Amino acid sequence: MKQALAAAILVLAVAIGFILWIAASMGPHAEFVPYVEPPPPSEKSYLQAAYNPLHFRPAIETADDAQCLACHREVLDDKVRTASPAGMRAGLMRVWYQQTPTYEGEQDTFHRRHLATPLAKQLMNLQCNACHLGHDPREEAQGAAADSISQADTAFTLRKQVNPETTCLKCHGQFPWQLMGLPGPWEEHKAAFGNNCQACHAAIRTKRHEVSYLNAAAIEQAGKDGADACYGCHGGRAWYRIAYPYARTPWPDMPAEVPEWAKQRPTQSEVRFLRPQEGKR
Amino acid sequence: MAKKLDKAEVRKALERKVTQTYRPLVPKTQLGFVHHNVDCIGCRACEIACKDKNGLLPGPRFRRVMYIEGGSFPDVYAYKVNMSCNHCAEPACLPTCPSGAIWKRADNGVVDIDSTLCIGCRRCEAACPYGAPQWDPQERIVKKCNMCIDELEAGRKPYCVMACMMRVLDIGPIEQLAAGTWKTTALGPGEKPVRQVKNMANPELTRPSIVFVPHSKGRVENK
Repeated sequence: MKQALAAAILVLAVAIGFILWIAASMGPHAEFVPYVEPPPPSEKSYLQAAYNPLHFRPAIETADDAQCLACHREVLDDKVRTASPAGMRAGLMRVWYQQTPTYEGEQDTFHRRHLATPLAKQLMNLQCNACHLGHDPREEAQGAAADSISQADTAFTLRKQVNPETTCLKCHGQFPWQLMGLPGPWEEHKAAFGNNCQACHAAIRTKRHEVSYLNAAAIEQAGKDGADACYGCHGGRAWYRIAYPYARTPWPDMPAEVPEWAKQRPTQSEVRFLRPQEGKR
Repeated sequence: MAKKLDKAEVRKALERKVTQTYRPLVPKTQLGFVHHNVDCIGCRACEIACKDKNGLLPGPRFRRVMYIEGGSFPDVYAYKVNMSCNHCAEPACLPTCPSGAIWKRADNGVVDIDSTLCIGCRRCEAACPYGAPQWDPQERIVKKCNMCIDELEAGRKPYCVMACMMRVLDIGPIEQLAAGTWKTTALGPGEKPVRQVKNMANPELTRPSIVFVPHSKGRVENK
């Protein structure tokens, strides 16, 4: 008898619960608000700028410096501090690689030293996209998302907006004295050659520097005026421990036999750096 | 009375100065990092611990966890690569610095920086193949990881390592880490670390003191 009463109470409770639930669900509801795309910001946001197509291939390949500098003015405008936070004055600093006869002027920023100083303008013709060919704004890495740059793209490296092996190394690699048959590093043996690169290079590898990012004629003249100009790029400021495998462009009277070390070398510079007349060949 | 200036000697001294080149220091022990690319869950606790310890505002990041993902169903993959300063055996940043603010420690090979000597020329930032030196736009100087040298000297590990909840980031003598003989939680049984992963700059440039346990999709041939 007691069990039947308990079961009846339970059924009644469940039934009341259902009735209340149904009544509650029939009551007033909050209005359903569909998602509406927010209006575009009135001024350009950081993200819009970061994902501007100009920062990626293919637009970056044909971008000119004016397009880059329209936003990145600081690249040329910024100067070094007059003194470090501890009070070391920039005007009094001179490190070893700044003692060469070719180094002139006050301390300056990295970009200005490559683009704006008199020596840079005389010997180089670097464009922004000679080094910068893209990056990933989110992770500083290829393959960061389904729509990001492929891992097969080697225009930049992890955490870096350039690929130093294909850009910086061209001028900041080691002097390959072993391949050149010299008795040792140039700085130790240059006296034996009269500190004159043209003693040998008047006849060897005479087709050189003919790329769009260098002023070949001015470099030849600077080399004639003093070997320190040559060594400035070819070993004097070697930040990296390997040498750059320069293209072995054929020169007049080049020996037919290719040395072992040169067998893997290309015979012309990268196509994008070829001057128009070389590109037609 | 001051000795009369010997001009010939001055000229010779200048010649010596001009011919001088950077000779990398060989430390007693070279410490380096190990990171497990697959077991890392990308929580970025190491990044935040580093920023906290070094008081970095938004912008500069001494350490960076990079998320890498790709493939198409069902062959999809995701892994992380985690790098700060790699305390290279032959650092490119060091010889570029005109103020001598960067140096390599003889005892543990840490590439240290005294940013109070920095004039903000940003050469080191450009020369580093691994993006380690970080520009602080507020102070207009470059700062970078020094492997928490104060912690090392106190017998502890860097903040990033201590913050890693998965224990996939660690430090140790780099030669032993590379050989897989250093006891660390970052290496599982039988795992063989590598010196380079996909899209990382060529380690031959500066010999960075870091090894990774790579994902199969991040492995580089012969590295």
